[in-house]
Amino acid sequence: MTLGNRMKTLASRLSGANNEGVLAIIIVVLVIVMSLMSPSFFTVHTLFSIMRSALVPGVLAIAVLLVIISGGIDVSFAAIAIFAAYTTVHFAHQGQFDPGIIGVLIIACVIGAMLGLVNGAVIARFRLPTLIVTLATQGIFRGILLVYVGSRYIAQLPDSMASLSTANLIAIESSRSYLPLLIVPVAVLVLLVAWMLRRTMFGRGIYAIGGDTEAARRAGFPVVRFQIVLYMLVGAIAAIGGLIHVILNRNANPQDIVGTELDVIAAVVLGGASIFGGRGSVLGTVLGVVLVQLINNSLLLMGVPTAWQRAAVGLLLVVGVGIQALSARRASRRTFVLDTVEA
Amino acid sequence: MPIRTQQSTAAQLNTRVDNTVRTWISHIHVDRGIGRMLVLLVIAFALFAIMNPRVFMNPLNLQNIMVSAPEIGILAIAMTLAMLTGGIDLSLVSIANLTAITISTLYTGVVANDPALAESLGGLIVLVGIAVGVLGGLINAFLISTVGITPILATLATMQIFNGIAIVWTGGKTLYGAPQALSGVGKATVAGIPVLFLLFIVVAIVIGLLVNRTPFGRKTQLQGANPAAARFSGIRSASVLYGTYLTTGLLGGLAGVLFVTRNPTASADYGTSYVLLVIVIAVLGGTNPMGGFATVTGVVLATLVLQVVQSGFNAIRLSSYEYSIAQGVILIGVMVFDQLRFRRRTRYVASTQTRNIASMSNVGDDADESADKVGSP
Repeated sequence: MTLGNRMKTLASRLSGANNEGVLAIIIVVLVIVMSLMSPSFFTVHTLFSIMRSALVPGVLAIAVLLVIISGGIDVSFAAIAIFAAYTTVHFAHQGQFDPGIIGVLIIACVIGAMLGLVNGAVIARFRLPTLIVTLATQGIFRGILLVYVGSRYIAQLPDSMASLSTANLIAIESSRSYLPLLIVPVAVLVLLVAWMLRRTMFGRGIYAIGGDTEAARRAGFPVVRFQIVLYMLVGAIAAIGGLIHVILNRNANPQDIVGTELDVIAAVVLGGASIFGGRGSVLGTVLGVVLVQLINNSLLLMGVPTAWQRAAVGLLLVVGVGIQALSARRASRRTFVLDTVEA
Repeated sequence: MPIRTQQSTAAQLNTRVDNTVRTWISHIHVDRGIGRMLVLLVIAFALFAIMNPRVFMNPLNLQNIMVSAPEIGILAIAMTLAMLTGGIDLSLVSIANLTAITISTLYTGVVANDPALAESLGGLIVLVGIAVGVLGGLINAFLISTVGITPILATLATMQIFNGIAIVWTGGKTLYGAPQALSGVGKATVAGIPVLFLLFIVVAIVIGLLVNRTPFGRKTQLQGANPAAARFSGIRSASVLYGTYLTTGLLGGLAGVLFVTRNPTASADYGTSYVLLVIVIAVLGGTNPMGGFATVTGVVLATLVLQVVQSGFNAIRLSSYEYSIAQGVILIGVMVFDQLRFRRRTRYVASTQTRNIASMSNVGDDADESADKVGSP
């Protein structure tokens, strides 16, 4: 093996299966540049505030990642998230009772899973395009929430949720830096999903379905059942994201979250997940979410008006996806000629 | 033998009529998007006309439907074109907003110096606005065709960028002011039919001819139906994609002009709900989101159906949220109905070779159903 080849394999191992290494390097470079430009950047306060702002998009992005790996795309998750969270709070508020944080979590997850079941049943049973189906269910879920559940903003959360909203894992009073306790359940969720994708038959099945549905079917994966379970799981995870949003904001507003779908999808795609399915990792997705939040934060610190955030994320997406597309094109050209010679 | 000839001409006439009728029926079968939408349109119209005739059948209401349909309809036609090649264009509404903002900014800028000049430059200002739309389409085409990014991602990104630019440009505020001539066009009617609606019909006819009667249209259909086959039959997909996305950009720009024509304001977040609505309309109108098949007539009818449903919901005092529920239910209902009919049809296949394939796909279906039984507790 020549030195050049060794460098090449080293580089490909560093960049990871889904370009996680490249993302990590971009993040590190961005942190270094920002620290040099603005001394107030490299502080615990910034770190904590980025982590705090990444919590909700992170959970939602994990949900979207699962759908994208399976070869679909979901735009209804935001509607499911706020539907589950708002309905739970609404019932607790109406009934004047506090189900406790575990009870809240269970109620929200069941609601989320039921809504996910609607998506999964329609998509798997009739084999319809996922984008169009979830567009339709997004309108239905949001409509049902606002017409039949409630459209009023609820300022008072049940006590168990309210107490969680002020609980901190780490609090540094001197610099007024707080890391919310909620980061623990989010970390557990992220690790669980990563484990599921790598180690369980269900996780491998999702990759197989995304890679080639027909091949997965012939390999013996129960495709319809897996898809239905997948969308239920995605609904439940989205519900958790909605709950965390409600707790962090200390109020339940049925108009929230919906409208951020495409931002979350953009972060997942930046994290290296292939929109055609079969590829994507939890690590990449987390890095993608962190990168987007980092950029938003950096723009603020550099004095760039918040108005530029949207355009900046869009530009980042073009560059990220463009590099992937160009390298894929070059790779496909190379296989025809060079690989046979090298082998 | 005069009697026999008479008989044979009668027989000929008979077969000719038979053939004609059969061709008509086959047309209806082929253009299922059109037939289906026509039925839905009649049902929706009749339903609301019966439920609240005083409000719904009011000429003002009918004119309102015709004035608000064009901007959504033109965007839906653009979406249809993108879907025809197997793509999608999420950036359409952002492009339309950029065009509207350009027109409004240029106009107010010139008016501040010389009001008379601004009016005479009205046409030029509109053209610059449309050029901005075409430029947006060019950027999409470059990313999709030259760089090779999937349309859904490329337009997701450009949607963010165009929308971001619009936010920065307007500072998040609504701009007021547009050439007076435009508002005049917006209010004008010919024989009771709004000019905007006539414009919409003209655009639909032009794009319909472009898709069905020109080599370019044939190529886009082939490209969407099977990109590999299109490449091997000598179609340059790059030029097809550039043509498609330049046209969608142009139509997006045109929709932007209609935004300011209907209402002389422009903002970055106008019509954000249109992105999804336009996809719904395109699919309802019989466009295959996987590419290769679309009818512009179907899309025009679908636009009218949704506008009628919306204004009907207003007439019987249901909220816009109930309208969005209805929209979703209609969309899923139509798709499921289609899929069921398609499956039933594949079971009655005549020729032996296709029967083999059909039985194979039936095996797949059975496996599916057994999996369902296992899946449902």
